[in-house]
Amino acid sequence: MEEKLIDHLFRHHSGKMVSVLTRIFGLQHLELIEDAVQDTFVKASLAWRKQLPDKPEAWLTAAAKNRVLDIFRKLKTEQKHLPNLQQGVGAIAIHELFLDTEIADAQLRMIFVACHPALDPRDRISFALKTVSGFSIREISSALLTKEDTIRKRLSRARNAIKKSDLKFHIPLGKELPDRLESVMEVLYLIFNEGFHSNKEDRLVQEELCVEAMRLCRMLLQNEHTRTSAGYALYALMAFHSARLDTKTNSENELLDLKNQDRTKWHFPLVELGNTMMNKAVQDPVFSSYHYEAAIAAEHLKARSFENTDWEKILHWYQCLYELQPMPTHLLTMAVVCMQNKDYKQASNYLEQISPEDLAQRAYLYYGAMADFHTAENNIDKALEFLDLALDSVTNTLEREYLQKKRAVLASYPH
Amino acid sequence: MKEFMMIFSGADYADLGLSPEELQNRMGKWFAWSNKMEQAGILKSGNALHSQMRRIVGENRTVTDLTSAEVKEIVGGYYIVDAKDFDQMQEIAQDFPDFDLGGTVEIREVMVFDN
Repeated sequence: MEEKLIDHLFRHHSGKMVSVLTRIFGLQHLELIEDAVQDTFVKASLAWRKQLPDKPEAWLTAAAKNRVLDIFRKLKTEQKHLPNLQQGVGAIAIHELFLDTEIADAQLRMIFVACHPALDPRDRISFALKTVSGFSIREISSALLTKEDTIRKRLSRARNAIKKSDLKFHIPLGKELPDRLESVMEVLYLIFNEGFHSNKEDRLVQEELCVEAMRLCRMLLQNEHTRTSAGYALYALMAFHSARLDTKTNSENELLDLKNQDRTKWHFPLVELGNTMMNKAVQDPVFSSYHYEAAIAAEHLKARSFENTDWEKILHWYQCLYELQPMPTHLLTMAVVCMQNKDYKQASNYLEQISPEDLAQRAYLYYGAMADFHTAENNIDKALEFLDLALDSVTNTLEREYLQKKRAVLASYPH
Repeated sequence: MKEFMMIFSGADYADLGLSPEELQNRMGKWFAWSNKMEQAGILKSGNALHSQMRRIVGENRTVTDLTSAEVKEIVGGYYIVDAKDFDQMQEIAQDFPDFDLGGTVEIREVMVFDN
């Protein structure tokens, strides 16, 4: 008997079973399916209190298969037109749909549904976390720092969009695939960033978002139709970022910038994983934005110390990235990179091209960079002015504390 | 040694909207607790109960079928445990995993009739 279950077994299994059952019964019965699967886990949690089954996964799968019959019975009382099992899933017998390869296939189909352009971009993340990843509404709300009610609305909006557009439960092929795949990668990228960039007291749930985004990305790479060089690059990028996830804050949960992170605590197996993925990604000569972002992340990891960072190279990758995505945030970053490289002329050149309104709630980053610029130019009064502007517009507590610390140090300079 | 019964009541898991992850974590705690008691050789028996309920009350033997949603607190299970006294039982009950869900442990001594 196993002493302990695999971490996240229930969560992962929930995503698997919802996907397989959806393949059998169709997207129109999604809610019923989700309830039935949830019920399996409540039962397991009670039945396994004293004794774990020999093969917990097989137990859960068997339970889900039994749910097929339950769902059938339920549907029979509700409607005359039952999904024709023979027709719906072709010649494949139901038990074959529960084989590992078919489960993976069903999950990929669900990912493509979740990331379908018919869904509002904001609804895609919530829907993916719910149906593919097995998060509860409460978990999604706490991971995304959004009210439970809002998540509930997003989920029901997503379900309605699926019904209205009568989405197919399949992996798109041919001409349709590249765009759809791009949309999937974008959602995975966003899920990862939600986990990596938001800073909350309870980091745990956010780290799970990073882990989950990587898991889903791995699923894309495991299927020959959905495996692309951009996918490899995205996976490399996530691995590189994850390698330094633990060093982003200190023991007092204060935010640490790259300069002050303990580089000995970076997780090197993840760096190696990133390198391996990156090698696969560059076999295709066409680079995506993920290639450049991964290259930048790798460059940071290569440097032994902050002072040893190869800023020239990083700037070069940012310039490539900016060509693909001419966004003001990239300009801002390029300005910061130039300042690290003590090229203040070029930095000012980039800063002049930005208007803070374009950055919306990230305007404080611009003001912070302006403060750094003026500090470097020894114009402390101007720098303090910009720091105050930054403090006026920052919303995140940790970021605010970071800026306040910076301001206190700066104010003590002779000026 | 005396025999005691721990009776667990509170809300039904199914009604609390717990996520698969939470259910697994909670199950792990229950599992660890019963393992601990088993290794100490004090766990006699115990069971979890289904939430569906049929209640028969009074002279007329009035029958009602109830679901967990209709009852505020529902008995969800019990353990029978060997212990010295109530104080020791209180110690044992500290590991009950569902206090944070508003759950309750009631400790009762099993009556033994001497000849």
